[in-house]
Amino acid sequence: MGLRDSAERVRRLAELEERVAELEAEVQECRQVNLRLAELTDVVTELLLPVAQRDEGRIDEVLRRYHDSVGVPPS
Amino acid sequence: MGARTDRAPVALDALTVTDEGLSFTLRREHDVVVDVLLDGRRIWSFWSVRDTEPARPGRRWVAWPPPLHRFLDGTTTLQLVEHVTGEVLATTEAVLGGGTGRIAVVDKDGRPLGLDKSLTLSRLFDSRDAEQVAPLLDSIETVVSALQQAGVEPFLAYGSLLGAVREGGLIGHDSDADLGYVSGWSEPVDAILESFRLQRRLVEMGYWVVRYSGMAFRVNLREADGALRGLDVFGGILRDGHLYLMGEVGAPFSADWVRPPGEVTLEGRVYPGPAEPERLLEATYGPHWRTPDPAFKFETSEATRRRLDGWFRGTRGGRALHWDKAQPAVLRKGLGPSAFLRWIRRLEREDHRQIGTYVDLGCGAGVDTFTMARQGIPSWGLDFRPSHFKVVAHRAVRRELPATYRWTNFNELRSVLPTGAEIARSPAPRVVTARHLVDAVDGTARDLVLRFAAMVCRGGGRFYLQTLRATETDPVTGEDNLRPVDIAELVTDIEARGGRIVHRQDVVEPPAGPKHVDVTGRAGSNELTRLGVAWD
Repeated sequence: MGLRDSAERVRRLAELEERVAELEAEVQECRQVNLRLAELTDVVTELLLPVAQRDEGRIDEVLRRYHDSVGVPPS
Repeated sequence: MGARTDRAPVALDALTVTDEGLSFTLRREHDVVVDVLLDGRRIWSFWSVRDTEPARPGRRWVAWPPPLHRFLDGTTTLQLVEHVTGEVLATTEAVLGGGTGRIAVVDKDGRPLGLDKSLTLSRLFDSRDAEQVAPLLDSIETVVSALQQAGVEPFLAYGSLLGAVREGGLIGHDSDADLGYVSGWSEPVDAILESFRLQRRLVEMGYWVVRYSGMAFRVNLREADGALRGLDVFGGILRDGHLYLMGEVGAPFSADWVRPPGEVTLEGRVYPGPAEPERLLEATYGPHWRTPDPAFKFETSEATRRRLDGWFRGTRGGRALHWDKAQPAVLRKGLGPSAFLRWIRRLEREDHRQIGTYVDLGCGAGVDTFTMARQGIPSWGLDFRPSHFKVVAHRAVRRELPATYRWTNFNELRSVLPTGAEIARSPAPRVVTARHLVDAVDGTARDLVLRFAAMVCRGGGRFYLQTLRATETDPVTGEDNLRPVDIAELVTDIEARGGRIVHRQDVVEPPAGPKHVDVTGRAGSNELTRLGVAWD
């Protein structure tokens, strides 16, 4: 194997390492959509109904109760 | 986890103890768990090779763990004992610091403390009698029952399961109890939604729940003796023939090793366990789980860590922040606006605007919110640390000011968006401020902060922020956690959300002082940028 071949292999290896790191980052980005989507779905499903029903009296109460259920510590 | 391959005696000799640490000779490279006993009581454990450093030829050295430093002042009989066999390897009378009394590793009420496997100083089970652990056992029953009512099948997990299966009791060097459950869903998004529903059910039942991630939370209970107890609940999914259980497990696993639920006995009480608890213990602690190891370290694979991080983590960015807390005495009188708020009020006056509602994001002690409410303006102070605004919030209530203080997690969309929706219903025009928030939080939270600002300021509101500015000479991150921000990048982010920069001021300012704790203690310069943003 000549020097040129060796240099070529080293260059390709470096390229592959870089590509793997990129792919790992891309996979991670895809995974992170799970949490975002779950949060958004939860907000929409819990809060959309009273808003769609235009139940003015309940909207504030529902917003407040939803907020409390997310994790507010007791005072 | 290391394991002994032969049973020849451990040849540990010539122990010397200093204020810095312990050193000893180890003639054979035996890696065994060694307990450190002070006056006959276990305080700490380490692996004789893994956790020590080579010193002079033939010697090993290990530093005292930092949590113990404040106790090491006085005299003690120090023993090193091999954990598994109970064999005393070395004994010495140690005199540390300048003290004269006996060294006592105890809490402020004189109760014995020790280090758990994470080197956290806790009241360990080995120092509690049956009467003292009964409230914990009651709490486990309560939370198990609540989770069952909420629709999942919980089981003892981690150290609690290990203790139950291996010893029938709590592990002496452990300090808390853990529960797990495996979701019926295999897609992370569905399992996270289920976890949100569980949390909601538990809150409806009257529990105080603190979320760690999309798949784990802590249930806090007030026990009969008034002590606050937190039980951690870890969710898991079965997917592609693997179990992924928050926060450390990822292993090939079969569904019938989890269900139907089995039974395990802990301190004489029966609790639910996974169908085959030994399988879960092997997946959690490796093949040597039957050998006690108070210095155990998880060796979670990179692939599992990436999966658990990617799917479930990211809701607790603010946890890492350690803000100084303003002293209550300082907050009892003479509350005035920060220099930042004075700047905002001047601009609003010059623009002939009457503020309808004021909102301070990351309000800290809440002084600016208080100041605005005192002028009769409905004001909101939102922060991740309610303990920081507690004093001023109580004062606002006593004075019947129109101020609302609220816990808000800027890393959680479920916290930020509904609060934004609620405030968007308050009187306009609304002014939103953020003093040293965008330079304190991560990218996810910054995105939600800008989204909140856009939501609340729509239709004539203003968003004002103050941040450390990245400069060529000061790219450092301060010890106060603030990261100087690239202002051009921030402006691009704001404009992408429809905001228009209407004011900009670059200043060098000293720290705001004890009432408005922000950049105090910062080593670098305080080159700040203030922006005023309008949404039409």
